[in-house]
Amino acid sequence: MSAADIELGPVPGPSPDPADRDGTANRSRQTLRALLRRPGFLLAVLYVVLVLVSAVAPRLFAPGDPTRTVPKDKLLSPSLDHLFGTDELGRDLFTRMVHGSALSVEATVISVGLAVVAGLVLGVFAGYAGGWVDSLLMRFVDVLLAIPSLLLALAIVTALGFGTVNVAIAVGVGLTPGFARITRAEVLRVKTLPYVEAARSSGAGRTRILARHILPNSWGPVVVLAVLDFGTAILAVSSLSFLGFGAPPPQSEWGSLVSAGRTYLVTSPWLTLLPGLAVGAVVYALNHIGKTFEEIQRWQ
Amino acid sequence: MSRESRRPAGRRGALAALAVAALLAVSACGNGSDSSSAEADGPVQEGGTLRIAFNQDSYSNLDPSQNFWIESRSIDRNLVDSLTDQDPKTGEIVPWLATEWTVSPDAKTYTFTLRDDVTFSDGTKLDAEAVKTAYDSVFELGALASLGATYLSGYDSTEVLAPNKIQVNFKTGNAAFLQATSTTTLGILSPASYDIDPQKRALGDFVGSGPFTLDSYTPSQSAKLTKRDDYAWGSGINENKGAAHIDKLEVTFSPEESVLTGSLTSGQLDVAWPRNPFSEASAETIKASGATIDTSVLPGLAYNFIPNVNGVLGDDAVREALQKSIDRKEYAATTFGDDYPVAKSVLDSTTPGWSDQSELLGYDPKGAEALLDAAGWTKGADGYRQKDGKTLEIDFVTAWGGWDLIQDQLKKVGIKLNQKLVTPAEYTQATNNGEFDLTASYYTRGDADVLRTLYDTAVVKPGSGPGAYAQKPETVAKLKPLFDDEISQPDTAKRNAAFAELQKEIIASGTLFPLQDRAQVVAKSDKVHDLNYTAETFLRLNDVWLSK
Amino acid sequence: MVQYTVRRVAQAVGVLWAAYTVSFVVLYLLPSDPVSILLNQSGGGAGRPSAEQVARIQEMYGFDDPVLVQYLTHLVDALRLDFGQSVSLGQPVTSLLVDNLPPTLALAAVALLLTLVIGGGLAFVATYVSWRPLRTFLHRLPAVGVSFPTFWVGLLLIQLFSFSLGWFPATGSDGVSTLFLPALAMSLPTAGILAQVLIRGLDDTLDQAHITTARAKGLSRLRIHTKHALKNASLPALTILGLLVGFTVTNAVVVETIFSRLGIGRLAQQAVLAQDIPLVQGIVVLAAFAFVLINLVVDLVYPLLDPRVLQRGPSRSRDRRETPDTLELV
Repeated sequence: MSAADIELGPVPGPSPDPADRDGTANRSRQTLRALLRRPGFLLAVLYVVLVLVSAVAPRLFAPGDPTRTVPKDKLLSPSLDHLFGTDELGRDLFTRMVHGSALSVEATVISVGLAVVAGLVLGVFAGYAGGWVDSLLMRFVDVLLAIPSLLLALAIVTALGFGTVNVAIAVGVGLTPGFARITRAEVLRVKTLPYVEAARSSGAGRTRILARHILPNSWGPVVVLAVLDFGTAILAVSSLSFLGFGAPPPQSEWGSLVSAGRTYLVTSPWLTLLPGLAVGAVVYALNHIGKTFEEIQRWQ
Repeated sequence: MSRESRRPAGRRGALAALAVAALLAVSACGNGSDSSSAEADGPVQEGGTLRIAFNQDSYSNLDPSQNFWIESRSIDRNLVDSLTDQDPKTGEIVPWLATEWTVSPDAKTYTFTLRDDVTFSDGTKLDAEAVKTAYDSVFELGALASLGATYLSGYDSTEVLAPNKIQVNFKTGNAAFLQATSTTTLGILSPASYDIDPQKRALGDFVGSGPFTLDSYTPSQSAKLTKRDDYAWGSGINENKGAAHIDKLEVTFSPEESVLTGSLTSGQLDVAWPRNPFSEASAETIKASGATIDTSVLPGLAYNFIPNVNGVLGDDAVREALQKSIDRKEYAATTFGDDYPVAKSVLDSTTPGWSDQSELLGYDPKGAEALLDAAGWTKGADGYRQKDGKTLEIDFVTAWGGWDLIQDQLKKVGIKLNQKLVTPAEYTQATNNGEFDLTASYYTRGDADVLRTLYDTAVVKPGSGPGAYAQKPETVAKLKPLFDDEISQPDTAKRNAAFAELQKEIIASGTLFPLQDRAQVVAKSDKVHDLNYTAETFLRLNDVWLSK
Repeated sequence: MVQYTVRRVAQAVGVLWAAYTVSFVVLYLLPSDPVSILLNQSGGGAGRPSAEQVARIQEMYGFDDPVLVQYLTHLVDALRLDFGQSVSLGQPVTSLLVDNLPPTLALAAVALLLTLVIGGGLAFVATYVSWRPLRTFLHRLPAVGVSFPTFWVGLLLIQLFSFSLGWFPATGSDGVSTLFLPALAMSLPTAGILAQVLIRGLDDTLDQAHITTARAKGLSRLRIHTKHALKNASLPALTILGLLVGFTVTNAVVVETIFSRLGIGRLAQQAVLAQDIPLVQGIVVLAAFAFVLINLVVDLVYPLLDPRVLQRGPSRSRDRRETPDTLELV
């Protein structure tokens, strides 16, 4: 597995005036305009949107049946009839990839979702409670980091069994520490801001402060991390399905496609190369999007 | 290879195009190596290490009395000897450790006269006592040596008549025993070996009398063998009956076909021996590099589907339809190429006793659909058949993939096949205990009695194999007398008649569904000469030699 | 310094113990029926498990004891370096780990070396060149290296350099030549990460006054850059060394599988496929140990380079070094 782009974190530059943090329509419009002016960003978003759409509505792009075998058409190279060629049973690779994206995306969304929720709970709890609760929880997070996350995922898959959902859970657990850390950092930061202190001293309950002041102001870095983690998660999910722990056949998760295509690497390399390329492209696009968001945030 | 020139956008596309272009350019010049392989073999050269790679060592058990995994048996064939050998060309049983024998007309008594110059690699003599110990011990292993137990079914005792003469007694006739004496399963280990814990023996801790000894064995990784210089009792099917020509054998395991192919063509391996035949693409690459491919059909059970009649396959109409819904020709041609043999019976075509049943195995999807319609299974909106609210679903339990084509063939007639992939250990457990609707299996043996040892319900009880669940009572009643007949009938012609009837009945009753004749494909580099196989297509190292 | 060392060592031990506990919880308490899984292996092919076989497994693994007792027994065994018997390979887990460690260590060492060379070299060049388009390209390149799945890169390398060009063997663990392609495949993502960290560090400090002064004094641009790079790169590189080791361990699983190399990685893949619980646990604990050890060493070396670290409060080491949070990911 590889890390997302790591250019995040404390960055030199003027810190934003807290008073502005409550968001103005003017700022949103500025952001949007800034984003629209970047072609790389737009391209990346377009590709990611394409992948998401194909995951939700595969028939839009590939109306055929991904499991339909046509043995007489086996191992055809890419052409107009078969955009990405065919595999050893004559199945159209493009169709299989489009339908397979549903599994990849499903696993990724579940894993990131799991990580965000778990991380949020851990981070908010730790940051807000402070003291020994904070120490304990953060120690736990440290431990999760001490075990290389692919191995942790392997252990979870060994225990739970193979399949898309279990892979997603396994990956999600590995991503949780990042969200816990970030959420906690944000909570700590916002907790000491003057207006939050003011709200507290004026008698606002803990939950109210949490919901109205802390959470809304913490989402920025969380979103950035989530975007980057989608990329990490896709890599992790495809690696696990490449190793054979993912969805059973004839499902066409991208990692399994790369693995299945290995046998034909010498004579029909597109079977392995194209799904792998698609994975790399999505990750790169997500990286780019995340990095752009982070840059935008930096200015604000 | 042409590629539509859609101009790829962005760096990603450029990278891909660059990669593909690089591949094209480089693979064009990669494989046109000069094949200066001398076809004339020339005089035998001594020495060298033969490097073989198999696919997998799934059960990691090298004890010949316990294992059934083909690759393990191939290694064992060169570590242990057997009383007899089987001629791969004729199927005939020929002398080896035993020089002559007699069989009683009721197939209950066998006497063997043994050679007196045979020693185990630890120096001890291989005499009648040793053979008695061997056969008694295999029998006593019980469930751990289930295969040996079936080879010795009806075993009563072995008597030592003289230092070089034994008599094997059976309570019930066992006409398949003679062939069984040629197997590695009934190979002779030193008496001391049988005192060693079976788990240790599985890791290679045993002594045999074969032309090679085991240097080291790391499960799933490698095995190293060294020749015995004093070996002098090879069986008659070998040209060279003395010590082997090569010095050492190195076995490794490599699951990926592309890696096997690449390693062979780049000279890192001498022999690539996958479990399944090479894909057409790999075969082309191999031949282009000057290596040759040996294809031999293994004797024994073909790759058959096995039903569990306690589930949805208890419906006779469903089984009959299933038999008609499998397009065996398409399967063979698509998976292995146009030259691959098509299954014509539940046995492979090189099995003594095989009979052609292809008229019962025609692809008839229309007939299948008619049968299912008549039985009340109507096609639903999703293409799968339903009856009384239930979908016609078959849970197919397997330890490896590759069933997508069959799944699609069955989908065409409205049968839903669910691939249930499990680990090898779970697979053994599930199939032994009947936790499947359908599974698939094959068995390599040079005698059609393998039908009985795996599918006679008197032999295979629930808990010991999938065969226990494949027959309804009416089928059992028909097959039982045929099994009894063939096992007690030493006359070959009469035995084969029983076998022919068995094959016909098994197919007609939907007890087994043949899928594929099993061909073994071995690729050897041009440095390897006279690589031979046993009748069961295992590795035989007596004659092989390497040119420098 | 002594106080710091003691604290860090105690922390490392604590983390290691916790990692062991997590692996125990996941592997022995999570599965719905661990007895079944273990039994499947030991039962071999001998049919329905008998009551005695079930009882034997239960006794061997202590499943009928209360959880705490099971855990403590396992922990004590682990301290004696006894992780039990591998159910799929029939050998003690510890000896399997010992046998498979050397090839992976060799691979990891070469991979880390390549990481330093490629990542460091790329960062140096990327921050040195002044031509805008090339500079931007080189700045983006590490992200590409990080985005592409290692299994894909490995296969591509095999196809190009092994099957087509025949420069390197595709498989095997014997000999130095088998190390290069797998190490290269493993090093690309980590080189990308290293390059990113270094680039950021170098870029940030490049336009400082003292550099302008040095230029004014007549030193060549290259010399300045080199001196500057070396001085400023060592700390960040050291910081993420622990992370890189974690990555390398992770990538070893995929790479050893693709290149059919002996090693802990391939052992891990086979162990998971076979649901071999004791073996998987042994590997996980070993990896955690390596990771914790490297980080401990880094933490102990760091003050020698940056003594300010010792003055800070008892917060976590990572915060001290101001490492971006997201570095810890995966």
